[in-house]
Amino acid sequence: MSTAISLENVRKTLGDREVLKGISFTVARGDIFGYLGPNGAGKTTTIRILLGLLEADSGRLDIMGQDISGSEIRRKIGFALDPDGLYDNMTAEENLEFYARIYGLSSAGRRIAEVLRAVGLSNRAKDRVGTYSKGMRQRLALARAMTHDPEVLVLDEPTAGVDPTGQIEVRQIMLDVAHHRDKTVFLSSHNLDEVQRICNRIALIDRGEIRLYGETETLRRGQGGGVVVIETAGEIPQALLDELRGLSQLGLREKKERSLVFSPQEGTEVSDIIGVLTGRGVKIEGAARQEATLEEMYSAILKEVEPI
Amino acid sequence: MRDIALITTASIRNNLGSKVVMALAIAVVLICIVGTVLALCLLLIAPAMEAELPDRTAMEAYLGVVVYAVCLVGLGVNLNAFGFQTMTREKSRGSMAALLATPLKASHIWTAKSLAVFLPGLVLGVVLALIALVAVNYAYFVPTLGFLFTPWIAISSFVALPLIYLSLSLLVHVIGLTGNPATGNVIVQVFLPVFAALIINLVVHGVLDAASWPFTLANLGLAVVIGIIAFLLRTRLTRERIVLSR
Repeated sequence: MSTAISLENVRKTLGDREVLKGISFTVARGDIFGYLGPNGAGKTTTIRILLGLLEADSGRLDIMGQDISGSEIRRKIGFALDPDGLYDNMTAEENLEFYARIYGLSSAGRRIAEVLRAVGLSNRAKDRVGTYSKGMRQRLALARAMTHDPEVLVLDEPTAGVDPTGQIEVRQIMLDVAHHRDKTVFLSSHNLDEVQRICNRIALIDRGEIRLYGETETLRRGQGGGVVVIETAGEIPQALLDELRGLSQLGLREKKERSLVFSPQEGTEVSDIIGVLTGRGVKIEGAARQEATLEEMYSAILKEVEPI
Repeated sequence: MRDIALITTASIRNNLGSKVVMALAIAVVLICIVGTVLALCLLLIAPAMEAELPDRTAMEAYLGVVVYAVCLVGLGVNLNAFGFQTMTREKSRGSMAALLATPLKASHIWTAKSLAVFLPGLVLGVVLALIALVAVNYAYFVPTLGFLFTPWIAISSFVALPLIYLSLSLLVHVIGLTGNPATGNVIVQVFLPVFAALIINLVVHGVLDAASWPFTLANLGLAVVIGIIAFLLRTRLTRERIVLSR
């Protein structure tokens, strides 16, 4: 699969603070790439560099195989930033028409109607944007990003402030453009659930460094293999709990009423845990392996790098 | 040129879309202009016209001051009202960053934003100055001296002065876009009263004749000087500097 975005050892210092400390990642064409990180981690700086608003001090950045410093490559990028940059005193249609003309679309009426319909704003097309709610503005910003049919969409928190129904619609649009139109979506978000649902690849940045990068599912499976939850029929005596804690390969993490949560070491299967428990007279009602959620991965990684 | 025209049109539409600000700016302009015209007429023209044989050259000079002052107020108040406000708004609401993320050149955005603030003031100033020209002529001169008008009045008021304000708009925009818009705002706020007081004093004290070619030349010279400063500062217009400025 061809590469849509490629960053190689990109560094950026703003003032006396090194905001990006040599970050590298690639985004394949058709990917929905989730870019995560706490506030101040370097997400906005990365986005600004991707959009050519800031210049990297060193490193390489290619989008669709072209250097971002050229103006032609900007035609291949659509964006929705925070704040959205829409003109309050113009209608939704006028806003989109203005941007369509910037991108050289002279008669974009049909395209504008199409994207407004896609984001569910057809009925408010002729209303001034100043009268829109935050969620409607987010949708319009997404429509603006898509108006010139770009190859890459760079979206900063596109569902922030959008109601649940709207969030589902926006997610569906992102999935549609990536999967059916072969476009690439670079999604910066704090909404981990959303990223887990739609992003096939993620990167987690913290303090200017990429802490986690790869395919979402592979990372989730690889992140300690998740947990094994065993439901027991009765109470577990304290002595047995102490004994189980001593068996490091099982990795007993916690006891919740009548269930035991294990983080087993590599090579230890669910059946091994069940064998150990039944061998000690524990009656088991159920067992399940739960993979790590993105939220757990996120917390675990950020905890690792917290200063002591 | 196409890009500049496109951004200028959209920016004017957006700037003028705020009805409250528009109404306030027009009200301030009208109050200032009526006050200025009345003051100049009552203090300069009316006493001079009481003479048995009014001096035509002096009357042309006074008329020149009136027309020039009206145009100055129209252009000045407009830049004062909209320059700082639009720059601050565009930066804080992300419109500037959004434009910079498109294929547009930063210098085109700068030119267009400067024009978008300047052009409504030009229309306002020129229209009101023409009204003042006709009104003062018919109120004082037509019955005795005929319709007074010299080409230098027209060139100073309708060409040179607008060029000064165009240069000033470019200057405050380059300063405001690459730095703090408040700095540009200070220049604009100080320029209008200082410049107006200076011109009126020089003309009233006979140092400059507002209906003469040296006056026109002085105005054009000032426009060129401000324009050159703005042009030299244009090298500061990088995307990064604009985005990182507050």
